[in-house]
Amino acid sequence: MQSPNNNHHQQAQNSSHTSTTRSSDSGEPSAPNNKWASTLLKECAKAISDKDSTKIHHLLWMLNELASPYGDCDQKLASYFLQALFCKATESGQRCYKTLTSVAEKSNSFDSARKLILKFQEVSPWTTFGHVAANGAILEALDGEKNLHIIDISNTLCTQWPTLLESLATRTDETPHLKLTVVVTASTVKSVIKEIGQRMEKFARLMGVPFEFHVRSDYLGELTKEKLCVSEDEAIAINCIGALRRVAVEERSSVIELFRSLNPKVVTIVEEEADFSSNRDDFVKCFEECLRFYTLYFEMLEESFMPTSNERLMLERECSRSIVRVLACELEENIEGECAERREKGSQWSERMKAAFSPVGFSDDVVDDVKALLKRYRAGWGLMQGDGHEDQTGLYLTWKEEAVVWASAWK
Amino acid sequence: MPELDNSPTASGEVSVSSSGNQNPPPKPTAKRKRNLPGMPDPDAEVIALSPKTLLATNRFVCEICNKGFQRDQNLQLHRRGHNLPWKLRQRSGKEVKKRVYVCPEATCVHHDPSRALGDLTGIKKHFCRKHGEKKWKCHKCSKKYAVQSDYKAHSKICGTREYKCDCGTLFSRRDSFITHRAFCDALAKESTRPETQSPAKKQNQNEAVANPKFDLDPKSQAGDSSPSEAPPQAPEPAPTPAPPGPPLSQSTAVVSSSTVLPIRSSELPENPTQIVEEAPLPCGLNGSCSSSTSSGSTGSTSSSVFASLFASSTASGSLQPLQPPGFTDLIQVMAHPDHPVDLAPSSSTDPISLCLSTNHGSSIFGTAGQEHRQYAPPAQPAMSATALLQKAAQMGAAATNASLFRGLGIVSSSSPSAPQDSLQWGQRQVEADNASVPAGLGLGLPCDGSSGLKELMMGTPSVFGPKQTTLDFLGLGMAAGGNPSGGLSALITSIGGGLDVAAAAAASFVGGEFASKDIGRSS
Repeated sequence: MQSPNNNHHQQAQNSSHTSTTRSSDSGEPSAPNNKWASTLLKECAKAISDKDSTKIHHLLWMLNELASPYGDCDQKLASYFLQALFCKATESGQRCYKTLTSVAEKSNSFDSARKLILKFQEVSPWTTFGHVAANGAILEALDGEKNLHIIDISNTLCTQWPTLLESLATRTDETPHLKLTVVVTASTVKSVIKEIGQRMEKFARLMGVPFEFHVRSDYLGELTKEKLCVSEDEAIAINCIGALRRVAVEERSSVIELFRSLNPKVVTIVEEEADFSSNRDDFVKCFEECLRFYTLYFEMLEESFMPTSNERLMLERECSRSIVRVLACELEENIEGECAERREKGSQWSERMKAAFSPVGFSDDVVDDVKALLKRYRAGWGLMQGDGHEDQTGLYLTWKEEAVVWASAWK
Repeated sequence: MPELDNSPTASGEVSVSSSGNQNPPPKPTAKRKRNLPGMPDPDAEVIALSPKTLLATNRFVCEICNKGFQRDQNLQLHRRGHNLPWKLRQRSGKEVKKRVYVCPEATCVHHDPSRALGDLTGIKKHFCRKHGEKKWKCHKCSKKYAVQSDYKAHSKICGTREYKCDCGTLFSRRDSFITHRAFCDALAKESTRPETQSPAKKQNQNEAVANPKFDLDPKSQAGDSSPSEAPPQAPEPAPTPAPPGPPLSQSTAVVSSSTVLPIRSSELPENPTQIVEEAPLPCGLNGSCSSSTSSGSTGSTSSSVFASLFASSTASGSLQPLQPPGFTDLIQVMAHPDHPVDLAPSSSTDPISLCLSTNHGSSIFGTAGQEHRQYAPPAQPAMSATALLQKAAQMGAAATNASLFRGLGIVSSSSPSAPQDSLQWGQRQVEADNASVPAGLGLGLPCDGSSGLKELMMGTPSVFGPKQTTLDFLGLGMAAGGNPSGGLSALITSIGGGLDVAAAAAASFVGGEFASKDIGRSS
């Protein structure tokens, strides 16, 4: 562990040179002194788990001295995880989470949400990877159908659909009718979905795709076939991007059963590759996994965005809420209709999905599309294909050789 | 005529169906100023080649080395190398009968001899593009092409061009451009004049379908497939749908006749400026007039859309300068007094963005109609998607003018477009439910220079990307605190620009309260 003074120095240096040191940072991500936050945070988590109050006190103090939401990656991680640790230690997680959420909701608007999500897509394939893979699978599965019904259970503000609409419009055969039912599960999306629906309708009209738009904002665990208004003559695709993780762990199987009952042509699942689920009773383990995942994420953000990007800050704040929720709130308490986002890894989701569906491989065309997508972003991104064995299904987006997002298709 | 000599090795299937007389000029010709693609000379010999022949690349094969050539002439030259007898065809003036080629695809408009294409290369490319497999795939962007030369042309420029949205934002990637388009306020603006009806539903749709593709890809298409099927003399920019529509009112007739011409050029982005200048101002306005009439009568959905469209579009409308040059003068005349010059930036004269808007517009008109077809006003029956695009651009300008007018408080009479515009509203009022009209107008009003300015400053991130670096720290504070929403923002502001809310939570224990009390309790 380094002395605080030393780190202060580094901090000052970093903040003055952020833009110039950024690129060199990426070249030496594992330099030992870069990981002080991780070391301190893990120790602190362990101290909390051990209820060693002197140590907790000391470490929290130290972290507080070093952390900053405006600093480098380590400082940011320190800042947000410190917040979670503090909440955990003081059992104030729920209050903190509510505060953070309501602040986020207050400042949420269509404009800001749109700007945020589009900017993120512009600089990083984190979300677009799933869109391209899922759209490819959906288009192939629904090829030749006249009436498409896509049930979109994701919180991506429909940013996935313009390219799909365009593909439908430019297909050689007759343009099918598309019904898009968006199931909104995030509170921040609810307030803007109406505006988005209007945009989608306009865009579909523009593209010449006969289009219907519906919104459901039920909690996913309470969704029913009736609420989704599916009809017999529709070819159904269910698109779940980052949605299953918002379902309480116990209810996940039943949600998948619901999917089965809709008899879809294809189900696309995209989830971030992390496991906050199997280890949820082990605070230290869960904390370490959480820290691992968000370290990757924060490093990715750091390299993707401008150092001073406002969008990046907003994404990080989103993380901070999620981190507090996962680490510092009582296990399954349901705060205002939202559960902790207990991510699971692709292999875990595959296990669940296999109970009701069988995996569909992505075609070469889709894989090519994804590869082409990744080439357009800066270096560091890669694609890993599950080989179809055991728990290896689907495609993984990798960042610096680590799998970070998993996309899969099922039928 | 590049290849006349197609008989020798042409693997058989050439059927000369007949010549001459069976070429009745297609029905709605009256409105066409210019030869459409596939309006062959009635005396020409009509040739129907099989798909196989059309797809064959090297039909002329050397019997010695089996090397194939696309043209007999080339084979003949090659034969010289083998010391074989060779003969280059002489240009022999009149004895060669003019030939035209039909598409073997029965559902294709060019299957009809009356719409045959004038040269072999043209029909080959047409067949490949429209009915062939797209087997050439760009590895950079995944775009697929049926014709190799299209692909080659594309791959030369892929990634080097940018897509420009009406709002001024530049994109190097097509998919992000498409996504942006869907969400951009500029689109909301365009849709302010939503569905024009096109009686020619199916065809229009197909063409609109074909179009968005390169609409979205305007610049990069300059070199490749945008002149799709538009080689020298038998261009097929967007085959005009044939079905005759209801009788045209005078004004719409003006629209179609005057837009047919620009259409072509809009397909060839090399000279887009010219297009626009050709487009007569009143024409666009007429168009907008009729279309919004229809949208009014489509009732419930569109009326509400209409209102909200206007709401969201006004800012961009006034300031995202998508006006084709034809309108620029007018706009500038109007805008200058109130708007700083720099508010009417590049895109107003930028061919690219122009194409974009046009194209989008077109597909609106080309296809949206289908749901509301029964309400179709006397629309332009034979207007191709591209024409509609073109028209949409004009209308975009018209709409822009309109909101400018309102925003500036200049109503009617000062320019030719204003009366048209008010006419448009008047009509709606008559036909549609009144409620939506005042709503639309009301919402249109607030579009003034300042809101536009704001939009410009805040709405187009990547344009200002580089600059943001310096601004952004200020932005950080604003993002949280700029949102005057009660206690929370008060909290934020009290913390001050630098600290964010997350920090606020932490701040409570920075104060030291946690040290003794909370930790003590938990441990």
